[in-house]
Amino acid sequence: MGKIIYLDHAAATPVDPRVMAVMQPYFSEDFYNPSAIYLAAKKVKKDIEASRAKVAAWMGARPSEITFTAGGTEANNLAIKGVMSQFLAANIVISEIEHESVLKPAQQHKYKVVGVKQDGLIDLDKLEASIDSKTVLVSVMLANNEIGTIQPIRKIGQLLEKLRQERLTKGNKTPLYFHTDACQAANYIDLHANRLGVDLMTINGGKIYGPKQSGALFIRTGTNLKPQILGGGQESGVRSGTENVAGIIGLSKALDLVQKNHHVETVRLQKLQQLFFELINKQMPPAQIVGSVKNRLPNNVHITIAGQDNERLIMELDERGVLCAAGSACSASNEDPSHVLKAIGLSDEEAQSSLRFTMGQSTTESDVKQTVKTLAGLVNG
Amino acid sequence: MAKVYVGLSGGVDSSVTAALLKQQGYDVTGVYMKNWTKDMPGFPCPWKEDYQDAKRVAVQLGIPFKVYDFQTKYKQLVVDYMIDEYKSGQTPNPDIICNQEVKFKLFLNAALKDGADMIATGHYARVKNGQLLTAKNKDKDQTYFLYIVSEDALKKTLFPIGEFTDKKQVREMAKKFGLVTAAKKDSQGICFVGQVGIKEFLSQYVKTKPGKIIDENNKIIGEHEGAIFYTIGQRHGLDVGGGLPYYVTGKDMKKNEVYVTTNLDDKQIWGREIKLTDVHWINDEPNAKKTYQVRTRHRAPLIKGTLNKLSNKTWQIKLTDEVRALTAGQSAVIYNGQHILGGGVIV
Repeated sequence: MGKIIYLDHAAATPVDPRVMAVMQPYFSEDFYNPSAIYLAAKKVKKDIEASRAKVAAWMGARPSEITFTAGGTEANNLAIKGVMSQFLAANIVISEIEHESVLKPAQQHKYKVVGVKQDGLIDLDKLEASIDSKTVLVSVMLANNEIGTIQPIRKIGQLLEKLRQERLTKGNKTPLYFHTDACQAANYIDLHANRLGVDLMTINGGKIYGPKQSGALFIRTGTNLKPQILGGGQESGVRSGTENVAGIIGLSKALDLVQKNHHVETVRLQKLQQLFFELINKQMPPAQIVGSVKNRLPNNVHITIAGQDNERLIMELDERGVLCAAGSACSASNEDPSHVLKAIGLSDEEAQSSLRFTMGQSTTESDVKQTVKTLAGLVNG
Repeated sequence: MAKVYVGLSGGVDSSVTAALLKQQGYDVTGVYMKNWTKDMPGFPCPWKEDYQDAKRVAVQLGIPFKVYDFQTKYKQLVVDYMIDEYKSGQTPNPDIICNQEVKFKLFLNAALKDGADMIATGHYARVKNGQLLTAKNKDKDQTYFLYIVSEDALKKTLFPIGEFTDKKQVREMAKKFGLVTAAKKDSQGICFVGQVGIKEFLSQYVKTKPGKIIDENNKIIGEHEGAIFYTIGQRHGLDVGGGLPYYVTGKDMKKNEVYVTTNLDDKQIWGREIKLTDVHWINDEPNAKKTYQVRTRHRAPLIKGTLNKLSNKTWQIKLTDEVRALTAGQSAVIYNGQHILGGGVIV
């Protein structure tokens, strides 16, 4: 077998060697507990704070507004449970295509789900209609992990600001917070919190060429969260546990690298994405693109090919050196069809015929050509 | 060439079965039988991985792959049966029932209906002219589990793995064919509950009460968690502490009592006469005058014995040697050399 063509960057990204290099000292040389009093430990603490400042800078935030977590799932849980557990009568409004790490914690509280249109974009009118006087949190992801659609976060931010003003005039003192899960978006999209209009934002190191189980939550000053992990009071008491120093250093370096380059990488991948779609249309006419083509992450190619068993195709492609994923596995696996694909109107059969290719830094034009050629060979028999 | 449906379990034996038949020129289709499974806390059933391995083998061999969903039937025919047997104090053998009801009935019939001429499985056994023969690998031989399969079914069945004398050869073949299952561990535990023990499994279905453990001198020597969990001849798990090991000699389900002894020579755990019910002969009824070989547990040594027909379904075996732990509900299988004649359930 020749070169492996890895097209599952939405699932995991390889750690950038530059990230690995800056993490390295913190495993053995600078292993100290950052809370200790001796100077060697204080240095480690200082390095963490420098990382915090760097992450904050990319979000246009203050360092104190960044809390490090063990990955994106924990950050999403913290955001949702941290708000909702303080307002027992209140409700949370989420989009229908949120990641399970938003969906599941939301379901533990009073929650409402706003549908998306067929292109995978949230319906702003429906969103507005769903928010009532007791809504305290709205959570809509910046970009979707399965179909790559980018939600109009700024518009939602503006809508919520308008609703806040209305609450003020009505004397309704219930706060209205806005959380976005930016795990998939951080490679390609500006994360400035004020421009996005968000109060809470999740990022995940494992998706941005940083280490897995590293993540951060932006928490706007004034947004109080009830801590979900109690202990020694690290991370200003919001998230206890001895800091994952190497993870934090790696996460901040990774974010730095992808954000610095995100315009260039977006343009490069958009070209490949366009080529990908063109070649699919040409070589596999029955294949359909899933989700909006316009408002889409540049690395996401999600298609459904009528009559095909996606699980078998993934295995066939794997045997031929192409690694990809499905939004929804074959029915025999007894798994529920993907709630995302269902939300945009795909039937169970269409969902089980769908394939997701997510490109990344290593993806080249010849990878795309080779992938479509291989896939077409399998599909056209 | 004949159309063969191969039951792919996701293990190495069935994988190689499919590969060999394809190599021999058969028109092979792989089938994963989705049987009933229960996720036990802390012991997630490994079926999903097995299913994916089965499918991957089909991909690697370039053969069609199907899933037969036998969950409901399997639950009724195998699991419920097993639980009922345990409740009545028996120690049934789920593998025998699974072969009889699922693999060589449900699977065979579904395959034939879908256009297959024959089926194949990864069992260590051989078939010749509708006769069931032991596998060449004596250590792995699985014919004990196959004595209830009908002659008609056997005539439509292939067991290519039965020709290998060594399991290593099977793994080497798997490697040679480049199959994902080449280095996979052999499965352990009860098939439908994964790695969990039968005790944990039964506890979910049967209410048990502690009861007395009584020794051969009528002395109460301890307490057990439920008579249902004990099997005659069983040596371990009595938790009565210290000294010589105890052996279960019997139990009374109504009184919820378990009887034990430290005396390995105790008459109760040794027997020379076996009464069989639900007797099944694969081919013709055997000759009552001849001496055959009998196996009373999987992999147990063969012991010589003569048969005596009491009625159509009830037979008696007289063994030349005494055997330990004849367990009601388990099967005794009759061999004539390498030829399996049939067997029945020990009463």
